[in-house]
Amino acid sequence: MAEPAAAPLLECREVTKRFGALAAVDGLSFRLLPGEILGIGGPNGAGKTTLFEVVSGLNPATSGSVLFEGADITRASPEAICHAGIARTFQLNAAFDSLTVRDNVRVAAYFGRDRRWWPGLRLGGATEAAADEALETVGLVGKDRSIAGALPVLDRKLLMLAGALATRPKLLLMDEPVGGLSPGEIDLMQAAVRRVAAAGVAVVLIEHVMRFLVQLSTRVLIMHHGESIYEGPPEGLVEDRTVVDVYLGEGASRRLAATLEEQARA
Amino acid sequence: MSAGRRDLLVCLLLAGAMALLPQLVGTRYVVTQSTLFFIWAVVVSQWNLVFGVAGIFSLAQMALFAVGAYATAMLGYYFAVPMVVAMPLAALVSVAVSLVVGLACLRLRGPYVALLTLAIAQVLYLVVVNDTDCFTNPPSGCMPFFGGVRGFSRFGDLGFRALLGSKWYVAHYYVGLGLLTLAMLFSIAIVRGPLGLAFQALRDNPGYARSRGVGQFKYQLWVFGLSAFFTGLAGAFYGVQFGVVGPIVFSLATLLFLLSMMVVGGLGTVWGPLLGAALLMLADEGMREVGDWRDIGLGVILVLFVVLLPRGLAGLRLRGVSKAKQS
Repeated sequence: MAEPAAAPLLECREVTKRFGALAAVDGLSFRLLPGEILGIGGPNGAGKTTLFEVVSGLNPATSGSVLFEGADITRASPEAICHAGIARTFQLNAAFDSLTVRDNVRVAAYFGRDRRWWPGLRLGGATEAAADEALETVGLVGKDRSIAGALPVLDRKLLMLAGALATRPKLLLMDEPVGGLSPGEIDLMQAAVRRVAAAGVAVVLIEHVMRFLVQLSTRVLIMHHGESIYEGPPEGLVEDRTVVDVYLGEGASRRLAATLEEQARA
Repeated sequence: MSAGRRDLLVCLLLAGAMALLPQLVGTRYVVTQSTLFFIWAVVVSQWNLVFGVAGIFSLAQMALFAVGAYATAMLGYYFAVPMVVAMPLAALVSVAVSLVVGLACLRLRGPYVALLTLAIAQVLYLVVVNDTDCFTNPPSGCMPFFGGVRGFSRFGDLGFRALLGSKWYVAHYYVGLGLLTLAMLFSIAIVRGPLGLAFQALRDNPGYARSRGVGQFKYQLWVFGLSAFFTGLAGAFYGVQFGVVGPIVFSLATLLFLLSMMVVGGLGTVWGPLLGAALLMLADEGMREVGDWRDIGLGVILVLFVVLLPRGLAGLRLRGVSKAKQS
């Protein structure tokens, strides 16, 4: 039986974001299918984070459109996009610094799942259950009562992930989830992302750590000056001349080729 | 026991203990000063929701207090509305004004909110004082619409003066205590509930809060609206307690006195503002005999707290708890 072509979960059509004369994202189009893990790479200033700003509604596109499950969300507010099912983590390890770990996740679980017309007086069991589940998925159980501002880097990143998961997203946007982490911590984060993806959440990740990017992604998109210069399987990266020239360089691409070979053998 | 339940219990125990005071200390001075303490404590407990919990540096709280006081006096003076009805109506007027202030501040941050709200308070003050045209001409003389510099008097009271004679102030003590108890319960429900989480999330990181589903527009209006009700009611009760409402309720000195209470007690905590109000009113009382040194003394206390205990009296307790947890 022929499977019908799956409808895209997220679709960007000719998305452009200008800051004055600079087009940080320049006519970018791509589609993301349910269940995919799309890795986005590219040099600093390529427009990767700006793309996330546009999709998550914090800094809407100048032109073009963003569709989520077929609905136009180009001009929707960040909170409406959150309620639609897109959750995002931040490069700068955002958190509610004065709140406890648990309260951080409670905010997301209570306000992030559905639009609320009237605030209630109690958080309720469903919120607590969602918070528990999110903390367990990322492995922060037992640190509930720590103050977020005092957490070490890895825990801050995990907390941000827990917050994103507590909103019950269909799509997770992760901005440099392993930037600044040690190799052991990177493996830990990799396992967490795999658990999330296994639960049926589509993931888009921005990362400079190529080992992490190629090992997780089912597809890779490389950006440069706001445009896509490569879109395809991770294995093709090292053979693409433009990608090697503008982003990877010879040394890194040789190391990456070795990693890919190792991965293929395993 | 959850933090909310503990606060509830403390609140009821404190209210019970304070209810005994007039029985133990009969002096009129102590009882009326305590009533004034209740009024200021109500204001700071609500102001703290905006200033401390939501981190919006609004200085409009005394203006909202004044709106409550003026609305009560005007309803009583012009329409002879009984005070029991006028007071909650006036509180609703304060809520409406506060929502407008909240809307005006929506796109401002930090010190700009302070500047705008202070300007709004000053404009209200000037509207009252500069209006000298006679609106009515009672036997006591020309009366501008907002009462002018003289203000309103004889607009009615709660009826205790007629009922209890010279002991009316004891009844007002209990009204004040009841008001503070309700205001505290209200503030506990907000701080310990989902709204408190939303306000604190927006205070800590507005962009992150929005992308976790907390709409800034909506919850900023909520905090402005909610914090105004008991503030307006306190203003209304202030009018009834003193029998006069004049432009003095806008005074900058009172605004700074109340702001200091929050800072000394601990911004953003449930009990801090109450502790700060108690401490500063006692200090003020203690320095009553030393004339001008009183203001200097209050200033020194404020400076000491800002330098040595930036998180206030409540921060002292929090630090104790976290140390106990670590060991």
